[in-house]
Amino acid sequence: MGDAMSEQSSKEGGVLANPTRRTVLALGAAAASTVVTIRPALAQTAGSVMNCQIPVPGPQHSGQYIAADGSLVAPGTPGSFAPPARPITGEEAKTLLRGGFTPNGMDSQSAQAYANYIRRLQSGMSGFTCYASLQLPR
Amino acid sequence: MRHALNVAIGPVSFRVGSAWRSPVAALAGLYRDYPAPADEVCDFTVRLEPEKPWRRWLRPSVAIHGDYMLPDAAPLSLAHGLLAAEMGMNLQMALGQKRFLLLHAATVERGGRAVILTGESGAGKSTLAALLGERGWRLMGDEFALLDCESGMLHPFPRAISLKNGSIEVMRKVAGEGRLGPVLEGTPKGTIRHLKPRPEAIARMTEPARPALILFPRFGADRAMRPVGAAEVFVRLTQASTNYVALASRGFDSLSGLVATCPAMAIDYPDADTAISLVEALFRELPQ
Amino acid sequence: MAGPIYAADGPGAIRAVPLDGLVALFHRPSGMTHIVAPPAPQILEALQEGPADARTLLARIAAVYEIGEGSAEAIEARLAELEEAGLVRRA
Repeated sequence: MGDAMSEQSSKEGGVLANPTRRTVLALGAAAASTVVTIRPALAQTAGSVMNCQIPVPGPQHSGQYIAADGSLVAPGTPGSFAPPARPITGEEAKTLLRGGFTPNGMDSQSAQAYANYIRRLQSGMSGFTCYASLQLPR
Repeated sequence: MRHALNVAIGPVSFRVGSAWRSPVAALAGLYRDYPAPADEVCDFTVRLEPEKPWRRWLRPSVAIHGDYMLPDAAPLSLAHGLLAAEMGMNLQMALGQKRFLLLHAATVERGGRAVILTGESGAGKSTLAALLGERGWRLMGDEFALLDCESGMLHPFPRAISLKNGSIEVMRKVAGEGRLGPVLEGTPKGTIRHLKPRPEAIARMTEPARPALILFPRFGADRAMRPVGAAEVFVRLTQASTNYVALASRGFDSLSGLVATCPAMAIDYPDADTAISLVEALFRELPQ
Repeated sequence: MAGPIYAADGPGAIRAVPLDGLVALFHRPSGMTHIVAPPAPQILEALQEGPADARTLLARIAAVYEIGEGSAEAIEARLAELEEAGLVRRA
């Protein structure tokens, strides 16, 4: 991966210059997608009122890696990448909490897989969770 | 309206009007110990009205109206009028709140720093927050976390905590019958009782705190923890926000600021004591 | 042979915040939020030099980064995504 040092300097570079100079930049396959758009809330739509459950995948898929399409697979599956939040020991947790952040840098291919994973987290429309979890369907 | 009550919860005040006496009376009982709103004019209005005129007396049917309304919302029975009032207030916040970014989350505070507990509904956040509130933490809220767009601070919204089914008995043993509201049976989520926050939490309801830790708790698995990447947290929180999009750039700045400065962990636990020990341990490890 | 020319809005139009390997973007003109993975941020940055087609953008990016797998065709695909998101438009 070789991005341990670039992770440091990427903070100094322009906000959009991430990864940094002379790092390998994968452009992604033609069919890949690199843009996740936060969907607008449909607060006024009756349909969203009925659906108070947000069936997003739980974040606790400890030990699993992210495949290129964003699905979760067993670690070591060819082509899969460790999510930025890989399972950790108590010691690593302490380090993380002090530093505040995910410890490892990410190359552009992992980043693309991560974006796909994140895209799958969006279900329904943003803006409607169970503000009031008791709506009866008509 | 025939019956009305002004109530303040944290920085927000509501005028709750009702065609029937009982919902307002129940609300007054639950919020009896709360400081009265500073202003006569409240931030939001809720009106509990009969869906059709004759439904005021005949199988009373409580429709939730107010400054902000949902066109297709189903009315509730009068027996659940207190829930209608609560839902009405939540709805005003969800649709009308402009000063704060609203996150569907519980928050607890200690030493001026706040822990945000967020995730799927029904995952047990309210109960965990209520328990932490009885174990030396100040409960700031069980439903909405209010992130001030200007300051980045979290403001309390310590409404009465909505406990369901098994949690009711758990909290009754810990907090006592005196802090519980009326029993509401036959709701879509089963039996509900409200738990009044501790007096100190109510007294400090205008005192904000700096967000320090974001947790995604999950009940019912072996003890485990996993850090969650900032981008994932960001998207999960947009899912958990009722007004992120409406707040436009202020919402973006608030949320990205929160996510960029707050570590986030997913925690699994098989029981409440393990959950509490995980929260305590992680909080202790935060930089001072 | 040159493909369509794309343009992005000026620097004030986007607020960008890096979040572990991805970038969160708020696009003021549309009020929409996007989370983007490389090479999207690099393409948006390269367009700040002025409107360009995929081939030109590839050259601008290659001047700064070591290009891994991919080509102008990949850049075209990324541009189509960005156009769909409203972050770039045909000039």
